[in-house]
Amino acid sequence: MAAFGAALTVVVAVGLGVLFTRWIGLALDSATLTPPERVPFLGGGQPEVHAWSRFHVRYYAMALLFLAFDMEMVFMYPWAVVFVEEGAVALAEMLMFIVILLLGILYAWREGALEWA
Amino acid sequence: MGLRRALARLAAAAEAPVFPVIGAGGRSVAGEIALLGGVRVVDSPRAANVLLVVGGITPGLLAPLLQVHDQLPTPRATVWWPGEPVEHQDLRTVLGEVVVARPGDGDTLRGVFAELVGGGRLSDPPALPDDEPAEWRGVGPYGQGGTGMTGGVPYGRPLAKRSPDPDGLELDQLPLRIGPMFPPLPPGLILDIALQGDVIREVAVGDNPFLGHPDGPAPAGLDTALFLEAARRPQPVATIELARARHHLRWAAGTLRLHGLASESLRVLRLARALRPEHALEVETLARRLRGRRSLSWATRGVGVVTPAQVGFGPVARAAGVAVDARLDDPAYDGIGFSPVVNDGGDARARLRQRLAEAAQALDLANRAGARVRQPGPALEGPRGPLSAGEALPSAALVDLLPRLLVGQEWGDAMTTVASLDLDLEEAAAGARAGAPA
Repeated sequence: MAAFGAALTVVVAVGLGVLFTRWIGLALDSATLTPPERVPFLGGGQPEVHAWSRFHVRYYAMALLFLAFDMEMVFMYPWAVVFVEEGAVALAEMLMFIVILLLGILYAWREGALEWA
Repeated sequence: MGLRRALARLAAAAEAPVFPVIGAGGRSVAGEIALLGGVRVVDSPRAANVLLVVGGITPGLLAPLLQVHDQLPTPRATVWWPGEPVEHQDLRTVLGEVVVARPGDGDTLRGVFAELVGGGRLSDPPALPDDEPAEWRGVGPYGQGGTGMTGGVPYGRPLAKRSPDPDGLELDQLPLRIGPMFPPLPPGLILDIALQGDVIREVAVGDNPFLGHPDGPAPAGLDTALFLEAARRPQPVATIELARARHHLRWAAGTLRLHGLASESLRVLRLARALRPEHALEVETLARRLRGRRSLSWATRGVGVVTPAQVGFGPVARAAGVAVDARLDDPAYDGIGFSPVVNDGGDARARLRQRLAEAAQALDLANRAGARVRQPGPALEGPRGPLSAGEALPSAALVDLLPRLLVGQEWGDAMTTVASLDLDLEEAAAGARAGAPA
């Protein structure tokens, strides 16, 4: 019963909170805007078309590149586990691996994958 | 109600957010607005409470002005600095409640703002009728104005048409008319652009709002008025060079503001206001400090490259490595060691460095010229290019360059490019109207 009372208190409190914020919103929203007041600012004009438009996600090449290299980092976990046992050999192997990846990044860079437009 | 009064007093003590609209002949005062104490110049009417109209409103500027006026949130007020020739549209007949003040009068701006937020002054009513530009209420199955989200007409406005993208995609191309009161662009410039994402695909320059009023003000209201005057009457070389340095510094302040360096911009404006020939060292220090700003260099390097073949005059050509300058053939500059400053690259960064170097050089020349007086006759090198009787003013040719420069640029680069050319639409209109500065 005590749990039910606590739950009821929470529900009532949340309900009152929602009503209160709604009331504040309505109280502040006393100014009704005319259509010319609502349009986006373009320096004195009105837009002719609606701004729901499909545009190019230009960072997709960068996002793919990031994902690829992010996954490569997963290989570093088992390496870190055996690093103390293996010592310098592990270090050299990881360096070789990273150099190969770095060459990949340089290649992507040269091919313009990091260009925005 | 004590709390309400206390809050109103607190609000009235804040800086007045002002959105300036620059009309005909208003450019020469425009630089001073940011320096007024207790006033904050904002970049959008949405952030302002006071609309400040500087200069005359031509017929071409009237409709955009009403639109911008209505975009200020309430409470709003309008202040007008008409300047000398009040021969344009009287704003009081269109907007009703307009406070007319002397140009440069910051007290009125602050006073109007304090009254407005203190409740002593009613907000301006909207200037445009309460009509939907396109009827949409009740149209469509859900009353949303169209037949669907893709291909419909939501809220009465059609969706953008698709067109090919360089990556082989078909993407929406948003047609927009930007200006003539869009702060990153020079006052009066209207650009009809087609945007794909943030890349500009098509550009056309709209009608110049300063044109089409043959009885409008003479070029006396231009920010280069002193140079046009000097092309006709004898004028001390020191005066001309000081005005040149001031012009370049004001331009630099605008560019810095565009790049988000607002406090640096204010510092440059202050330097420009109190500029004297002895300040050559300060200008050189400023140029060196701006060179060291990495963000500014990155944002302007390689942006908006103008080749000497496109523009063969003024600082724009000199920034591309061409040593053309009307002062070379001007006897008034003989024997004071004048040789044109040049830069290479022809991009926005070169133009910034060029103009700062020219400002420092102009102060140096003003020092060395002494009491030398320039006689009219040969072409006079103005801050944008040569001014000579019978030839068009330099701004017109620079405006014509815009479509070729801007197509393919990203939005930010395009704004950088436009700012770097130092355009004045009023000068372009004056040149087109008279055919000559004289």
